[in-house]
Amino acid sequence: MSIVKKYSAEIVSIENPFDKLFIIKMKSLSGYFKYSPGQFLHLAIDKYDPSEGWPDSRCFSMQSTIRDDFIKITYAVIGVFTQRMADELTIGKLVTLKLPYGDLFTQDHSKENTIFISGGTGITPFLSLFTDPSFSSYINPSLYAGFRNEKLNLYHDELEIAKKLNISLKVKNIYQDIDGILDIEQIFKNSHSESCFFISGPPVMIKNFRNFLAEQGVAKEKIKTDDWE
Amino acid sequence: MNNTSMEICNNLRSEIIEKTIEYYKAKFENKEFKPGKTKVNYAGRVFNEAEIVNAVEASLDFWLTEGRFTEKFAEKIADFLGVGHVLLTNSGSSANLLAFAALTSEKLGEKRLKAGDEVISVGASFPATVTPILQYGLIPVFVDVQIPTYNINVEMLRKAISPKTRCIFLAHTLGNPFDINSVMQLAKENDLWIIEDNCDSFGSKYDGKYTGTFGHLSTISFYPAHHITTGEGGAICTNDPLLANLVRAFRDWGRDCYCAGGENNTCGKRFSQLFGNLSLGYDHKYVYSEIGYNLKMTDIQAAIGSAQMDKLADFCERRKVHFNEWKRIFSKYPEFFILPEATEKSDPAWFSFIVTLTYDCPFTREIITKYFDQNLIETRNLFAGNITKQPAFINKNWRIADNLERTDYIMNKTFFLGTYPGLTSEMFNYVENVLADFIEKHK
Repeated sequence: MSIVKKYSAEIVSIENPFDKLFIIKMKSLSGYFKYSPGQFLHLAIDKYDPSEGWPDSRCFSMQSTIRDDFIKITYAVIGVFTQRMADELTIGKLVTLKLPYGDLFTQDHSKENTIFISGGTGITPFLSLFTDPSFSSYINPSLYAGFRNEKLNLYHDELEIAKKLNISLKVKNIYQDIDGILDIEQIFKNSHSESCFFISGPPVMIKNFRNFLAEQGVAKEKIKTDDWE
Repeated sequence: MNNTSMEICNNLRSEIIEKTIEYYKAKFENKEFKPGKTKVNYAGRVFNEAEIVNAVEASLDFWLTEGRFTEKFAEKIADFLGVGHVLLTNSGSSANLLAFAALTSEKLGEKRLKAGDEVISVGASFPATVTPILQYGLIPVFVDVQIPTYNINVEMLRKAISPKTRCIFLAHTLGNPFDINSVMQLAKENDLWIIEDNCDSFGSKYDGKYTGTFGHLSTISFYPAHHITTGEGGAICTNDPLLANLVRAFRDWGRDCYCAGGENNTCGKRFSQLFGNLSLGYDHKYVYSEIGYNLKMTDIQAAIGSAQMDKLADFCERRKVHFNEWKRIFSKYPEFFILPEATEKSDPAWFSFIVTLTYDCPFTREIITKYFDQNLIETRNLFAGNITKQPAFINKNWRIADNLERTDYIMNKTFFLGTYPGLTSEMFNYVENVLADFIEKHK
């Protein structure tokens, strides 16, 4: 984890492609953002007052890269805080960000035949790696991205960039309404013995997949998860 | 807070800051040097209104623990050195303790330092570089230094490495970098940890790169004698995220959680993890993965440090100028003084100007330093001298590699003067005259 810094940031774009799902971009008003692929930030809606400490905030994966002059996040309205975000965040609104946190991809791991498994918006931390030049150092990576339906796959542009950065990337989109749910057993069968698994998505999915892989004898250090409460 | 209260607070704050600047000017500006009446210190705090304003700002915030200024200060250090992680602490000695403690963590597996392992250092050193080794039950192995660099003799270091050697813990003596290329090569060949004690060398360079950026971990001191100050204070630097987390854990009570004071659930999984023999979801804020301390820096200290960082580059240049000024003065008497030399490939931001009496010198170190002292000119010895001869180190479990002949010579024949940025040309003129008088009396 690098030096954690607070940034004043302005909302520069908001997309609302589906009910209760938002994609926002924010630009820094306090110097360049510094972070690594796979890291996350805290977003506070209320103003930060140094005398009062850090206000209520939530974690969000950064799906952009430091080459971008903005940070992009996706959030779904699932509670009081994200409802406030939906209600109060407008273009031009100032928020306070605190970043970077997390060590998803800076942990020691094999870059050969790496397996990335995402459920829904769980793909976002992977996108920050997939669109970063460092992704070219992975050999034969595979992405298994599960969505409830094809419309919810909003990430074609980023995945095209990823395929250009790493031509050995294999992408398998699994649409629940057509293909059924992500099948960890099948994914495991297609993996290599040295494969490292990155899993991001709903907590239940992460828990079940992690347990399955552990039961198959996959070492703990080869199962990396991006999970919050 | 409503808008009226906020406006009152903002106005009062502006007024306080204006008065603070006025106070600084009245109290500290335009200090006059009176030869023979004003002390020529070897070190001291050098500051202007910016440090006091920052300290007052932090006081008015009254956040007290880590806050906006610790964040800013750490960021400035990281940007200056080009390192990924800077952990602030309450002293340079604490920084050394924490850097060493981090390497004992079980999270490092077989690479961790264990009681009985050997750690190479030098005999001519400051206790804070050596005491953590003893405190954790490891064995310091003391190697001799060279004159006139006052740094480790690399050939003797090579011979000192044994099958039990696991780490090299060295200071860049008085701002002069040790032979980093050779030491790093030996560390690589023997798979050793390197801790750079950079406490006296913040701003020095070796091969075009800042010291404190070569080893696995490095430390800085912000005691007033050092390159910048926060009163008490220190920092640990590393590019290794795991080591940074370990240092943080040891610094913050040994806890696993990395939330700063007053923060909660920064990791987003405060109540859903499993650790040790605790129940699933035990509050991460109270999970302890190391046997740690509480050695954090306060926001008021960091506020001063943040203002000092803006002056560091200039301070380093002035230290170099002052070193050259001393060199000009002392080089008039080559029969009495061995003058210091920078390590090859280095560009030291000198902590001090170190002088050793020649073998044939007719006077002793005590005679000249006493003469300086009587004339209000401060000098210092090279810290503990031969540290194995200090009362606390007698009968402790250490080993001397070959011999400490030069260390012993330094212990009895060496002293240093300051190079700190507060020195002025009037002070140099004064000391030059005092030295000339002394030499005239004792040659």
